[in-house]
Amino acid sequence: MPEFLSWLVEPLTYSFMQRSLLAAVLVGIVCALVGTYIVLRGMAFFGDALAHAILPGVAAGYLVGGGTYLTVFWWALGAAVLASLGIGAVSRGTRLREDTAIGIIFAGTFALGIAMISSIRSYAVDLSHFLFGNVLGVSNSDLLLTAGFGLLVIVVIVAFYKEFMVLSFDPVLAATLRLPRRWLENLLLVLIAIAIVVALQTVGVALMVAMLVTPAATAFLLTKRLPRMMTLAALIAALSGIIGLYLSFYIGIASGAAIVLTCTAIFLLVWLGQTLKTNSQN
Amino acid sequence: MDFRKIGLMIFGFAAFLLSACAAQDEPSWKIGVVATTNIVGDVVAQIGGEHVELTVMLPVDADPHSFQPTPQDLVAVENADIVFVNGLDLEEFLAEMVENVGGEDNIVSVSEEVATIEFSGGHDDHEEGEEHDDHEEGEEHEEHEHSGADPHVWMDPNNVKIWTDNIATALSTSDPDNAATYVANAEAYNLELDELDEWAQSELAQLASENRVLVTDHEALGYFAEHYGFEIIGTILPGSSTLAEPSASELAALEDLVVDFGVPAIFVGTTVNPNLAQRVADDTGVQLVPLYTGSLSDADGPAATYLEMMRYNVGAIVEALQ
Ligand SMILES: [Zn+2]
Repeated sequence: MPEFLSWLVEPLTYSFMQRSLLAAVLVGIVCALVGTYIVLRGMAFFGDALAHAILPGVAAGYLVGGGTYLTVFWWALGAAVLASLGIGAVSRGTRLREDTAIGIIFAGTFALGIAMISSIRSYAVDLSHFLFGNVLGVSNSDLLLTAGFGLLVIVVIVAFYKEFMVLSFDPVLAATLRLPRRWLENLLLVLIAIAIVVALQTVGVALMVAMLVTPAATAFLLTKRLPRMMTLAALIAALSGIIGLYLSFYIGIASGAAIVLTCTAIFLLVWLGQTLKTNSQN
Repeated sequence: MDFRKIGLMIFGFAAFLLSACAAQDEPSWKIGVVATTNIVGDVVAQIGGEHVELTVMLPVDADPHSFQPTPQDLVAVENADIVFVNGLDLEEFLAEMVENVGGEDNIVSVSEEVATIEFSGGHDDHEEGEEHDDHEEGEEHEEHEHSGADPHVWMDPNNVKIWTDNIATALSTSDPDNAATYVANAEAYNLELDELDEWAQSELAQLASENRVLVTDHEALGYFAEHYGFEIIGTILPGSSTLAEPSASELAALEDLVVDFGVPAIFVGTTVNPNLAQRVADDTGVQLVPLYTGSLSDADGPAATYLEMMRYNVGAIVEALQ
């Protein structure tokens, strides 16, 4: 057993691995909690679109702050909140279906971001970090920021737990209870925006949607009860973060991809297990 | 619609275009030259002087590995008499650009004839390489697609003397009338390069042999290390391009090397995102030292010309490793 133990401990002797593991677990939990609502409400496309739509914010943040993560963070958050509210406004204001509105805003803002980056033309806006993340480069202050916003998301979800549940499971009841539906939906959009910006450094835009939906979808296969689903999703996401980074450490593959692949593997395993179970019951 | 008015407008516009063309054919003809990096551009300017109309494609601090030209750049390349490039795949956009502008007959690689070194990958081609074998970081590097000749030839002034010859030859071919000037300028600049080399040798002689170790952002200092007798212990980004990311295992191996060798500093170029290098420096408690490797500074910075850039780098390296 000591050999296995040293195998487990060795990565922890590097402080960048400690920070990366903490970041991956934190981000995993936040994304999984928010992701539960995304899965229940069928908003996966919205999540993916929103992740792309923060590019102009990222570019502006780099321009203003010269590459400090904090500035980029705030600008990206601003862009995400604007884009998510903009999607709602376009779909309500034009009688277009929501996915059409998402497509318009998503492509438009992403193009704006690329145009901004192409005008800067130095390393400063590092498109590959934006697309694929850079969890190994997480600093202590990045971690604090991630933890702070993660906590905020969790507090809001706990505070509005009942309202969000009614909104997600029973729109009719929500109407009879006269819940402020528009307001709650916007709040949820803001929460998704925060989760995306928090996860930006860990997995990047290209793999973001996996962090949002895969752990929650896996949990959805296992239970239909919301609190259990949220706990399971958070556990699966945290575990995927840890396993993924160990894979990156021992096999030498890109960290963000390793984390997402682990999420996907767990989903496939659970799905296979479920299928076998139903087949043997029949 | 008044067709006469439209006809008049078209006529007027055509006349304007004709006069504009005529104005361009002024007698004081200059060779239209495009240079990719501002380092190549500086050397071209030293040799071409007032006889060339020089456009530098990459802005200050742009990374030549990941740079993407704009349509304006392609127009400039298409219209240029000569396009000077570093070559050796430094400019990864080059192949596509050549295709876009339809042919490479005006493209001159200034590094032609330079005795290249393979970028080290697993340090196998350095005699000092054996020490690293136990850190098993070599294998992953070799399968990187940019294996082959290290393009950062300008970090050894003797290679830039080959540049000056190539540039003088190309300019003389385009503009035989001023050939003597180009050759004379090249010879004068070669003397300055010799002076730079001698100065660098004597400055770097202050460093004891155990301090002659370099950790850099990517493999930008291979020629510098070979010429001045340094060993490159490792790089943050694997390989001689900036387009690859290290995995967790590579980063861990690098931190081990920095600690094992007691390296006092990590050197980062101004064209590379220093984020990861900063983390490694913090974790291992060493200094992060900026160098100019892929781009000059702007005109009022400390590295506005190639000669100033090399002097700045040598000064910074001596100070950091003393
Ligand atoms: Zn380079």
